[in-house]
Amino acid sequence: MCCSNSIERDKATMGEPEAFDISAVKGMNFFDPHVHMTSRTTDDYQAMADAGVVALIEPAFWLGQPRTGLDSFRDYYSSLIGWERFRSSQFGIKHYCTIGLNSREANNEALAEQVMEILPLFIYKEGVVGIGEVGFDDQTAAEEKYYRLQLELAKEAGLPVQIHTPHRDKKKGTQRSMDIALEHGLDPYQIIIDHNNEETVKEVLDRGFFAAFTIYPFTKMGNERMVEIVKQYGSERIMVNSAADWGISDPLAVPKTAALMKLKGISDADIELVTYRNAITAFAQSGQIDEADFTVPKNIDQTEKFEGNTILRGGQQPRTDKSSIIIS
Amino acid sequence: MAIGDDFGNINELLSNIIKDNTDETAFKWLLKAASADEISKLGQAFVMLPRKTGKTTLRISELQKLRAEEVGIGYVTDWRIDRLARVWLLSVHSFADAEKSHRLIEQLFLAPEMNEAEALYSALPFLAKPETWVKRCAEGIRSNIGSVLESIMENNPYPSKYLNEAAWNQLVLKAFFTEKNISKINGLDERANKQLALTLSDYARERYAAGRQVNPQLWRLAGPFIDGQIFDAIKIGLNNHDRLEHEAIALAISESDYEPAKAYISQIPELSTLSK
Repeated sequence: MCCSNSIERDKATMGEPEAFDISAVKGMNFFDPHVHMTSRTTDDYQAMADAGVVALIEPAFWLGQPRTGLDSFRDYYSSLIGWERFRSSQFGIKHYCTIGLNSREANNEALAEQVMEILPLFIYKEGVVGIGEVGFDDQTAAEEKYYRLQLELAKEAGLPVQIHTPHRDKKKGTQRSMDIALEHGLDPYQIIIDHNNEETVKEVLDRGFFAAFTIYPFTKMGNERMVEIVKQYGSERIMVNSAADWGISDPLAVPKTAALMKLKGISDADIELVTYRNAITAFAQSGQIDEADFTVPKNIDQTEKFEGNTILRGGQQPRTDKSSIIIS
Repeated sequence: MAIGDDFGNINELLSNIIKDNTDETAFKWLLKAASADEISKLGQAFVMLPRKTGKTTLRISELQKLRAEEVGIGYVTDWRIDRLARVWLLSVHSFADAEKSHRLIEQLFLAPEMNEAEALYSALPFLAKPETWVKRCAEGIRSNIGSVLESIMENNPYPSKYLNEAAWNQLVLKAFFTEKNISKINGLDERANKQLALTLSDYARERYAAGRQVNPQLWRLAGPFIDGQIFDAIKIGLNNHDRLEHEAIALAISESDYEPAKAYISQIPELSTLSK
């Protein structure tokens, strides 16, 4: 990879990029229902907050290499409800998560068994808005087994399920995920089928599920295609997310897509539904989302003073001027 | 204050406040949870508790406030219902079966959500055998989560009563570092010590070198221990332009019998009266 790429050549073939102009959607609030902040920097949080992202969901996922023991899983889940949630709050973004055993690591059955034992300790925690992301990767028997077990867990806890659909053999994998969920007696309205594309969306919507779209360069959806999907299918039960992680991805995918929709003439009401409201409707079925937590005016806490001390409640981070050569 | 000597009264007061701040279903659920025999049931109740109690700020009667102050826990009246009910739950269980609850609480400390972590550290002074939690408390001071640190440092009688000197000094230094409300640290003056005074004056020098201010309250802890080394830091502080800090230094010197510092400050007319 390293040697066949040339930045100069990339620039030549891609042309000058069109700048992202946030002013088209200034003042709008966004909800990114799938983003792996663990893999992102604090600069991303700052940029997301600046672009209007007020809340997000971080699904438990594969960290890029397999975990070898239970404690790694425990510490990871724990970080999603602890440290990462705090980090997010420093930028005024409300952080929720979904907890689950991802499909890749379901294939390590000895470990998967142990993980299943600790999942009930986490799914009732505050701010856990679903079981996720679960589903199929390779579509193996082990993946199916733990997918089914986690559907049962969701049913018992009354939690929504965030379903990852596979990169390879996507259409069949998506159908199979839906079939199995219905077989377990889950309500499709409690299930968010993720990473849809033009080939999968119709059936997902027709069968009554929520359809999420991941705006992710090269491998998933582009946002121009997303605009066309909203034009064709409308805004009911459709939501967009960034799924930004350790790969080449974009934590601003949701506000950028909103801006593009605005430029392409999609109504404000539809933009609000697919970039904010529908995600809340779907995941608030967990009983763990209170919109008032992220619609209150920002910075209200930052200025609070008590006995002459600034109380950084939730410890909002001071801003630095990135354009300055001086770091003080 | 030791809750253990007064558990009956405190338990009664807390359940009284909880009853006034929950609906009947939630209160019954809590009573049932507190009498649960299985550790896993109790752990799950601790986790799920806000779903039953809600998370509103407590409404407190004048009498309740008065009684809380009498038994040295006036600060709990500023909590939200979920934190108070969680602390009560652990306290009741701990006095019923100290060893079993110790195992449970250790488990809860392994993977707490932020509000859970705050409740856990707030609960330490309310547990039977509080001295068994010293290491856990010292570990908590290493947290980087602001609200968790606050639950240990601010309005918590546990650290000053039980931490050894090294851990205590770490708590105070970190409180300055992370800009906590120093006035809310329990036992600050009682546990002032030479080592802490030296560390804080070093910290002040670092801040000065970086062109930053220090919290003037730092000097209050240095007063009784001023020596040549601390005096050097003080002189830098007096060359800065922060009036409040000058006054704090003058007050600190008034607590000291280090003659060179006393002589030095008496040369500064607007501070000399303060330093006496």
